[in-house]
Amino acid sequence: MTRHLRDAEFVDFAEGTLAPPRAVHLDACAVCRAQAETVAAALREASAVEMPDPSPLFWDHFSARVREQVAHETPERAAWWALSGVRALLPLVAALAVVVVVSVTWLPRLTHAPGATDALASSHASGALAADGEVPAGVDTQDAEVWAVLAAAASDVGVDDAHAAGMGMRPGAVDHAVTHMNQAELNELGRLLQSELKGSGH
Amino acid sequence: MLTRTWSAAEQAESGCRVTVTNQTDAELVAACLAGERGAFDVIVERHRRHVYQLCYRFVGNHEDASDLAQDVFIRAYRGLRTFKSQASLGTWLYRIGVNVCLNRVSVKTPKPESLEPLIAMSDQRVASQAESATESLLRSERAGQVRAAIARLPKKQRATLVLRVYHDLAHEEIANILGSSVGAVKANFFHALNNLKKLLRDMP
Repeated sequence: MTRHLRDAEFVDFAEGTLAPPRAVHLDACAVCRAQAETVAAALREASAVEMPDPSPLFWDHFSARVREQVAHETPERAAWWALSGVRALLPLVAALAVVVVVSVTWLPRLTHAPGATDALASSHASGALAADGEVPAGVDTQDAEVWAVLAAAASDVGVDDAHAAGMGMRPGAVDHAVTHMNQAELNELGRLLQSELKGSGH
Repeated sequence: MLTRTWSAAEQAESGCRVTVTNQTDAELVAACLAGERGAFDVIVERHRRHVYQLCYRFVGNHEDASDLAQDVFIRAYRGLRTFKSQASLGTWLYRIGVNVCLNRVSVKTPKPESLEPLIAMSDQRVASQAESATESLLRSERAGQVRAAIARLPKKQRATLVLRVYHDLAHEEIANILGSSVGAVKANFFHALNNLKKLLRDMP
């Protein structure tokens, strides 16, 4: 015997669109036939219920109520980011943000001498991490402009758009990042956590 | 993009008096946005019956359905600028209607009119003379039970059943309105019908 009907196929049966090969199974399977009859009977019963129309007077009254409400309303202006052209560009903006992040944070590490990297790390460790919108300490003037562009772009990128652009974290990414931090980065993380705890009153 | 356009006959049914206009829905929306408030009156007249029926099927009573339908049009007016003219206004209104109904249902338990006659409902199908009063009463009672059972279905199942059975939308259109897949819509419809049968079986 072939496999039993799936949920969608019971619907197809009730609506008269079940594929012939599956109808063969239905003829041979009492379980499926009983279920199919139940679904079909429920559909017949629901379909038989007429929709009572309101009084003819209701419609004029209804339209008048809507008209009265609308008189106090103005169609809302669509947000600029909701416009189709701009919306289509959001994943691209998010992707660009990733590129900028990489160029600002990782390329200097690869190109700077070890001493320079240590200096940057120690400046972070001493509490010089940037506040929102400010350029972090250790970023040079040229990078500062890039940082400003990144901050402006990131402020308009939602989590969903970031995910759509492939910026989502892999499972275990946080664990991996923490276990691979150097001492300066761990110190900075500890400082940030402490300041957050103080700020939240814990 | 799936679109749903209602025929002239359907539109002529939408209420008792339909403003005669040759303007398409998209033209009416453009006119509204240009500040012509009368154009929105035409939109309301054209679509009010379908929107009201959708709401009525959800909540099962005239009073709430009327309030919800009004809310649908107010929200539609506010969001008119977001309507894309290549889509169908009918489908767009259905989507707003389903959202309004689902949100309402989530905060308020529906109070369906079950067996009592609906107030101010005039266009009931007239029972044929051959049909006895008892048969008519039984049929009316059963219809009330079915409405009450539908009002007790989980909201997504209810939305699917209402759109499919009473608004004759294709599964693809329902998927578009509910933001799900055709497979999910069919599965919801299956469970809705199954649950409907169970609820009717448990009724006295």
